[in-house]
Amino acid sequence: MTEEKVITEDTTPLVIQQLRDKFGDGLLSDAEAKDGVVVVVKKDNLYPLLEYLKTDLAYSMLVDITAVDNSNLEEELIKYDYARFMVVYHLYTFEGETPRLRVKVPVNDQNLNVPSVINLWKGANWLERETYDMFGIEFDGHPNLTRILMPNEFDGHPLRKDYPLRGRGERERFNFDKQNA
Amino acid sequence: MGLDNNNIQSGVSTDQSDGNIITTTIDKVVNWGRKNSLWPMPFGTACCAIEMMATLASKYDLSRFGSEAIRFSPRQSDLLIVSGRISIKMMPVLKRIYDQMPDPKWVISMGACASCGGVFDTYTLIQGVDQFLPVDVYIPGCPPRPEDLIDAVMQVQRQIQKGELPKGVEAAP
Repeated sequence: MTEEKVITEDTTPLVIQQLRDKFGDGLLSDAEAKDGVVVVVKKDNLYPLLEYLKTDLAYSMLVDITAVDNSNLEEELIKYDYARFMVVYHLYTFEGETPRLRVKVPVNDQNLNVPSVINLWKGANWLERETYDMFGIEFDGHPNLTRILMPNEFDGHPLRKDYPLRGRGERERFNFDKQNA
Repeated sequence: MGLDNNNIQSGVSTDQSDGNIITTTIDKVVNWGRKNSLWPMPFGTACCAIEMMATLASKYDLSRFGSEAIRFSPRQSDLLIVSGRISIKMMPVLKRIYDQMPDPKWVISMGACASCGGVFDTYTLIQGVDQFLPVDVYIPGCPPRPEDLIDAVMQVQRQIQKGELPKGVEAAP
């Protein structure tokens, strides 16, 4: 028992230990990457975990929110119960040994809703809009979840793997004049 | 008094004792003035704009050709330089800027992206601004060197001096 504890203290970063203690089964996996710590969390535990990271563990900076479409990655799909998307939160702290932390949450194609984290980081506003625009992830509680990069009339979400590189004729049709009319 | 069609000095007479007289037509004088005072409206969206800035700066010095008065208001300019890639979201903005420019107006499509989409054959990028703007001069290159932009401006000047109408006027009903 004591021997095992010594080993975990040597190898596992403190953040992972704290998250394991607090969320237990809520964590699907955790790992150390080259640039920091990666935590995969269940969707129900996402907001509490991010809140805990910000308020108690001083991850005060939200670097980025994005998503990954795992349609073509069979092993990732199998690992996370065939959840198509992975929403990724990059966090940064100015204290502690592991400044960079990545939180991932698997999102199913049938239920694309994820809680918005604007209440924690104001900067999440545009990042969530971008993720919505590019992947179609819906952020519950977002005050203005509209497209930010593509025109409002645009159909589809371009960074999804099933979206063709040359589009579906949007660039040939040019019916985006209305917004300036 | 022989009329030289290619020159502003259409005829020179030294018959008069009180000095030289130059004869020409009003169109040629107007075109001559117009070509040497082109006021460009820069529409820089990418790396071509960096080359455009270099063209305007002291080393390449576009003011030698009378085009140094860059106006960021389309209402005061008569030469639109589209330098960079144009997305479908940017297209209405560019069209509106072109529409605000007073006639006569010329358009230079600078670089591969503005002319044909360049390497960006993607869902969001317009494959050439000539799909919605009447382009007078295209510049190849990725990005073109400042000499290429100077050459394009001189080509516009030659068109003006010849009395050719800009593409936008020809296209208008």
